[in-house]
Amino acid sequence: MIHEHVVCPFCGCLCDDLEVTVEDGKVVNTKRGCIIAKSKFMNHDRDRAKPMLRKDDELIGVSIEEAMDRAAEILRSADHPLIYGLSSTECDAQRAATELAELVGGTIDNTASVCHGPTLVSVQAVGVVKCTLGEIKNRADLVIFWGCNPGEAHLRHFLRYSVLSKGLFTQEGRKDRTVIVVDVRENASTKLADIFLKIRPNSDFEIISALRAAIKGHEVGDVAGVADGTIKEVAEKMKSCKFGVLFFGLGLTMSKGKHMNIDAALSLVRDLNDYTKFAINSMRGHFNVAGANEVLIWQTGYPYSVNFSRGYPRYNPGEFSAVDVLSRKECDAALIIAADPLSSFPLRASEHLAKIPTIVIDPKNSMTSLVAEVVIPTAMVGVECEGTAYRMDCIPIRLRKVVEPEFPSDKEVLEEIIEKVKAG
Amino acid sequence: MIRMEVVLISGRTAKQGASLEVGKTSEEYFENVAVIMMNEDDMKEIGVQEGEPVKISTEFGSTVVKCKKSEVNRGIAFMPYGPWVNMVIGMDTHGTGMPSYKGAKAEISATDENVLTVGEIVDLIRRG
Repeated sequence: MIHEHVVCPFCGCLCDDLEVTVEDGKVVNTKRGCIIAKSKFMNHDRDRAKPMLRKDDELIGVSIEEAMDRAAEILRSADHPLIYGLSSTECDAQRAATELAELVGGTIDNTASVCHGPTLVSVQAVGVVKCTLGEIKNRADLVIFWGCNPGEAHLRHFLRYSVLSKGLFTQEGRKDRTVIVVDVRENASTKLADIFLKIRPNSDFEIISALRAAIKGHEVGDVAGVADGTIKEVAEKMKSCKFGVLFFGLGLTMSKGKHMNIDAALSLVRDLNDYTKFAINSMRGHFNVAGANEVLIWQTGYPYSVNFSRGYPRYNPGEFSAVDVLSRKECDAALIIAADPLSSFPLRASEHLAKIPTIVIDPKNSMTSLVAEVVIPTAMVGVECEGTAYRMDCIPIRLRKVVEPEFPSDKEVLEEIIEKVKAG
Repeated sequence: MIRMEVVLISGRTAKQGASLEVGKTSEEYFENVAVIMMNEDDMKEIGVQEGEPVKISTEFGSTVVKCKKSEVNRGIAFMPYGPWVNMVIGMDTHGTGMPSYKGAKAEISATDENVLTVGEIVDLIRRG
């Protein structure tokens, strides 16, 4: 059977034009997706998790019911449980996880805290001029990529939305657009640029500030190794375009200055709207990390790093963010869902997860499941069950189901654990 | 032995993304993630050839991966996101929740130590 218009549940592009062929309950081919989409669908049945409990320091196979009972027991008896992950699942599961965090008085954080967390902090401080990817496809004649590499990380972004796509006022596609890439190194995206601004690591804040000054007509001189003439040229292109967009990635959020870099970038784009139409969009990584922020905002008022220990939500990145909670060894149990912190956190922060009872809910085996006390397998969202996910521009898209799951969905497992915690 | 100071950048690569869907304990993941991309002249300076192991050390720890030639400037080295680079990233988030995954100061040198497998890194984490 051929499924058309399938949505890819890997990155924040949520490409919704895939064709997936299923025979005898197995994915046998995909069309139109990038190499990562193909790998995700074709390998969805490899390395799958099974329900397990740690007994005598070994993970032993058990029934899923037994695994959920133990998970509820751990969460019920913990003083300060951490619930973390959520970016590779759908919105209803994210809502259930928030309910569980409130019920057990724990901390809930999503993977934004190690990707665009600093962006969320800055948006609260500065505000943001943003638009949909559809508007960019139809209108943008100047596209800037700053500290992001869609050529490796969002493989069809150029094609579908930003550079090669043809729209209402961009009928010639690439020819109608000027592309500027700002990065510390040549990469797959810089090859496509009309202007490649190669900057020194950790100099983003200075260069964005110089651009803001140049746009307002001030003399700036050479800044952090970038020549005065280049800064003026880029500033002029920004002011004179009809519709500009600045896409930015973790090159800004993870480098020195972190949220201060984003404050500067958001302010630059706000300034540019005195001269032309300009927008700024973050390049979100996991397919529903934007949804994890949206859902937590609906439920608590805050996008990440939320703590319920006083019975009401409190927000404080640096205090209730997962890396900090683990580094300070503050949590006494953890539930990790739809993320793999052992492969993404600094090693020293991961060590605490191996010392406390950790529950892992995931369709696949992960590094974190190797140190877990409880492993609960689930259906793979967007392959084996439906759900809603938010694209990087916060457009909600319904994910499809193409094969039957062996295990319940993340949402069903979380709801079952909530019932068990309440019953205990 | 020459120890060279570099600025370490970590990030996504398409091969890292595709191979993590095969599995974190797979050969593909190991081949694509336990690597560092360096400038060719920097590789000559520390005396390593493509595919040979190098040791990366920061104030937070050290890791061994295979080196690959790349177009990065001298003095910059790039590693894909994953457990190997995480061994040299610090825990301090400066009050933001975000560790400094990009732009950390590191030292690189040739080594005859082995590249750890994912299983060995997990054992290291469990031993604390």
